[in-house]
Amino acid sequence: MTQTAEVTSVSSLQGKTSALVRGRSPAGEAWRRLTRKKLAMASLIYISAILVLGLLAPVLPIQSFSQQDLSNTRALPSWEHPLGTDDLGRDMLSRLIWGANTAFIVATVPLVVATALGVTIGLVAAWYRGWIDTLFMRFVDYLLAFPTLLLMIFLAATLKPAVVNFVREIGPAIGQPQLWRSGLVDYLAVLLILALVGWSGLARLVRGQALSLKEREFVEAAKAIGVPDRRILFLHILPNVMPLLIVLASMSMAGAIAAESTISFLGIGIVPPYPSWGSMIASTYGYLRTPYWWLLAEPLLIVTSLLYAFAYLGDGLADALNPQTR
Amino acid sequence: MTETNKLTPPATAGSTATPNGAAAGETLLEVKDLKMYFPITSGIIFQRKVADVKAVDGVSFRVKRGETLGLVGESGCGKSTTARAILQLYRPTAGSVQFEGKELTKMGGNELRRMRRRMQMIFQDPYASLNPRMSVGSIIGEPLLIHGIAKNKKERQERVQELLRIVGLNPYFINRYPHEFSGGQRQRIGVARALAVEPAFIACDEPVSALDVSIQAQIVNLLEELQDQFGLTYLFIAHDLSVVRHISDRVAVMYLGRIVEIADRNELYENPLHPYTKALLSAVPIPDPVVEAKRERIILTGDVPSPVKPPSGCNFHPRCPIAIPECKEIIPPLEEKTPEHFAACIRV
Repeated sequence: MTQTAEVTSVSSLQGKTSALVRGRSPAGEAWRRLTRKKLAMASLIYISAILVLGLLAPVLPIQSFSQQDLSNTRALPSWEHPLGTDDLGRDMLSRLIWGANTAFIVATVPLVVATALGVTIGLVAAWYRGWIDTLFMRFVDYLLAFPTLLLMIFLAATLKPAVVNFVREIGPAIGQPQLWRSGLVDYLAVLLILALVGWSGLARLVRGQALSLKEREFVEAAKAIGVPDRRILFLHILPNVMPLLIVLASMSMAGAIAAESTISFLGIGIVPPYPSWGSMIASTYGYLRTPYWWLLAEPLLIVTSLLYAFAYLGDGLADALNPQTR
Repeated sequence: MTETNKLTPPATAGSTATPNGAAAGETLLEVKDLKMYFPITSGIIFQRKVADVKAVDGVSFRVKRGETLGLVGESGCGKSTTARAILQLYRPTAGSVQFEGKELTKMGGNELRRMRRRMQMIFQDPYASLNPRMSVGSIIGEPLLIHGIAKNKKERQERVQELLRIVGLNPYFINRYPHEFSGGQRQRIGVARALAVEPAFIACDEPVSALDVSIQAQIVNLLEELQDQFGLTYLFIAHDLSVVRHISDRVAVMYLGRIVEIADRNELYENPLHPYTKALLSAVPIPDPVVEAKRERIILTGDVPSPVKPPSGCNFHPRCPIAIPECKEIIPPLEEKTPEHFAACIRV
């Protein structure tokens, strides 16, 4: 129907007063292109399903993730335990869904923090250049030069006691003096680690994109009009960094889930009984060559399939958002 | 393009101009010894200057209200940089830019922002000069918003639609995005954005170079119509000599950051004095095969020198067919050789 409006001449439109032609925004176009990619859409649906399931874990009619049934350990799937029970007799389905809950928190909270930090620093460095740029970017170089895993282990070792102390001190003030003994501190520490590790690469990429956008003529045009710096940064440059950010977000969500699994596997992330796919894999990988191999297979399958889905989604997003680079 | 919609004439204090150039003849813009050097730095943390790119090196000229000054020269000679330095998009290294009697180079912040209502720019690449993520309404509406020209959203939309009509676009396309338009239409959007603040002066930075030849004529005609309608003053930059001859009243020729010749359009094209202008004009093809076959071309030898290390004296001397030893020493001043015809050459 926009087709007909296109060929209609100005004169014939003079009579109508509300016949504004609807435009196709770049974001809408990108979404339309994405919906045409089957693999990417299937991945998007799969990822959303798992993450929504995790988000709903507290209200779903499932067993507690920590309730043990010691007379029924390592049970095969049954009506009562659809995915069996683990070596302490805990329901696997419940633990996997609660693991998705952990994955959801881990994938979103650090992403928001790291994005806010990375985007602000990247934009500021690109816009003002000079010593601010040099300072930030050398610091980013320094962080990126560290092997990520080593950095995470180092942060886990140094941050966790600080987090425990902090929660221990504010615990009484908010009426929960025992809070520091709970799993909350593990979560806080993990989120902090992932946010601290995640922002640096993001800042570097945003800076690069902003540097190239800054020299584009539409930014010069905005300056010639007298648009204030802050408005140029947030209304002209940032929206054009968005495509990059969306692709990066999909990649770093996958990265965060993998990283949480890794540090939980190493025993320095989320610690049992709190459910994490990584710690589930850690506690069952000894069953690899035993009849109980499926205890290992279940969390492993979820993590790998989710990471694959993120990879396909990221691929599809990159194509949909930058059609000219296809 | 037979629209008769009139913009309200610019009503800024201190300006007595009426749209149809009643005040023509008075100097609107005066550029004196403008220099724009870009530093080349090296160093990791402490940047130290190692050299300068002398993009604009001592340019002076005047533009009268209501006239069009063409600025020609080959790529990289500093035409665009001159325009940006005049509009203070780049802060000039030295020199003075007086616009409506006010010194722009010393202005900053809000004072300069207010001046942006009086001078605008049209850009070369219609694909890069419009923000792809903003609708046409937001692009043209932004200057109205920034300068508080329209009172509310509704008024702003009406004004944007009026501007679209003025530049010959369908006013119902206000919600469309730049990628839905052709190059020529996009350039019209760029013109509408520049017109939105009701400026007195527009720097046109190669506004037709990126367009198809058939579209070029449409945009040039639009610019001419707008000039008549609103009494605009143009600095028209191009490397297409015939387009410049068509639209300009006077023409300035630039070479390596300096103006080598400036004169009335017909005088310059028929009577070029500077050897560089002669060479440049001899490159214009003539649309007549017989004359074209006999056309004598002056082929310059060598390349344009680097603006980092321009030649001594007259910076054209290494390529000049009539250079003498003195040319290496003396920087030729831009002198009035015949009435209203200035050239920077000691040999003419």
